[in-house]
Amino acid sequence: MRARNAVWWLVLLVATVFYAVPMLAMARFAFQRIPVIKLSWGNVFDKWTAAPLVETLRNPDFHRAGLLSLGLAVATAALTVLLLVPTMTFAHLRSPRMRRFIELSSVLPFVVPAIALVIGFAAAFRDTAPIFVRSSFGMVPLLVITALPFTHRTIENGLSSLDLRTLADASRSLGAGWNRTIWTVIAPNIRGSIATASFLALTVVLGEFTIASLLLKNTLPLYLAYAQGQNPQGAFAVGLSLTALSAVFIALANRFGGTRPGSRQQR
Amino acid sequence: MVAGPSKRRARHLVFLPYFVFLALFLIWPATFVFVRAFQQGDAPRNPMIEAMTGQFRGAFVYSLQISLSSAAIGLVVGSLVAVAIVRLDHVRALRSTVVGYSSVAANMGGIPLAFAFIAAFGMQGLATRLLREVNIDLIGWGFRITDFWGIVLVYLYFQIPLMTLVLVPALDGLRRTWQEAAQSLGASSAQYWRFVALPILTPALLGGFLLLIANAFSAYATAYALSSGGSRLVPVQIRFFLQGNTITGKTNLGYAMAAWMVIVTALLVLGFQLLVRRSEKWRS
Repeated sequence: MRARNAVWWLVLLVATVFYAVPMLAMARFAFQRIPVIKLSWGNVFDKWTAAPLVETLRNPDFHRAGLLSLGLAVATAALTVLLLVPTMTFAHLRSPRMRRFIELSSVLPFVVPAIALVIGFAAAFRDTAPIFVRSSFGMVPLLVITALPFTHRTIENGLSSLDLRTLADASRSLGAGWNRTIWTVIAPNIRGSIATASFLALTVVLGEFTIASLLLKNTLPLYLAYAQGQNPQGAFAVGLSLTALSAVFIALANRFGGTRPGSRQQR
Repeated sequence: MVAGPSKRRARHLVFLPYFVFLALFLIWPATFVFVRAFQQGDAPRNPMIEAMTGQFRGAFVYSLQISLSSAAIGLVVGSLVAVAIVRLDHVRALRSTVVGYSSVAANMGGIPLAFAFIAAFGMQGLATRLLREVNIDLIGWGFRITDFWGIVLVYLYFQIPLMTLVLVPALDGLRRTWQEAAQSLGASSAQYWRFVALPILTPALLGGFLLLIANAFSAYATAYALSSGGSRLVPVQIRFFLQGNTITGKTNLGYAMAAWMVIVTALLVLGFQLLVRRSEKWRS
């Protein structure tokens, strides 16, 4: 038994090395001022510095890109919640068929790759409603769509775990309207799922490149791609920080409940 | 109180905003791609046909080869990791750590991932250097992070964990009693895996494989950053045809390639959905 477990430990070891090496290499490149050629066991711990990161954080171009990405992320999360929570609550309460239909529609974004979606979007809206293509926040609906498979799943899990009908009936019989029922009774009860969905939306937006790139909007990932040529150390440092940040977001999303990918509770 | 037809219609009005949103920002753009893809204009051939010939067909073949290779390796390695987690489940915090990191890595991609692999396996990469110390000369063997196997290697960073995430619930669905039943009937461990576990896991494995192909096929940012925009992959080519409008009458070719992409991913995702439904039959 022991010997056979050793095989599985070896599998995990290889996987860990594969997962860790690129991140370590990126960290070393970003924060250590020694070229790889001159690196040896004698100087592995020398000349580590946060200066490239600090310099980039002070760069006004970075500020502009960062603020835009942050604004897009918040707008996307907000629109996602506004759109999904009422629709899915009503589907749960009134129509199981509609619920299935919404679930089916939520995987559609997987069917249309981002590159196809964005060129279709640009072509469709350029002549009819150019504001969506020109304004930076016009891409928010596309980001909502891109995050939909993930956000739908978490809110669906949250709603399924509630006794929605009792909650809604109690709230309604006490005289609350639908608006009040949804936002002050049901939403607080699925706050974990709403937080999870928001974190997932944030993660998707902070990493999204294709849509922003084709619409020529200078979000954080676009800034990174541009800065790679100008100041590679700074760009890699920000790239690593961004990766760490999205890791934290996903960890938070897992913690808050909703979906726990791969865990036993998930169905 | 009996709801009349008009009242019933009103009850369904609440779903309108969601579906209008979907229609406007997903269905309409996708339809537009197909409309443009079939517009021939002055071109001698329909763009949809043109996109399947010559160099354009080559781009699809190249993209699919990369997707298939990374999906096949991801399937094997990701499944092994999943089995390892389930086998070593008695070790505290092992499952949550590996599954947690997998859900992070499966969502990685784009520019930072390209950076990480350039830093590790680029010409001056850390891993390249370390491997050279033990006489494994990647660059000397012709390995380039921007080439076929380089891109496959980078894609594995999100393919392996995605496969792990797909398979772990399916493995959890294998009942201990099935193994005991097989054993009590005299089956060896190998026979149990071959004749009981594997057939039950097949839909999950196949479904995961299709999902991985679709995943790699629609990836854009990583390849773009690795190659600084010069890759032969289909998504990068689409951008080239839409922006470099120098060749007249070829604009719709970009839409045609995008339309073919939608067709391919649609088939893959459909297959995945059907197979997952089958694999869930065993768990209830």
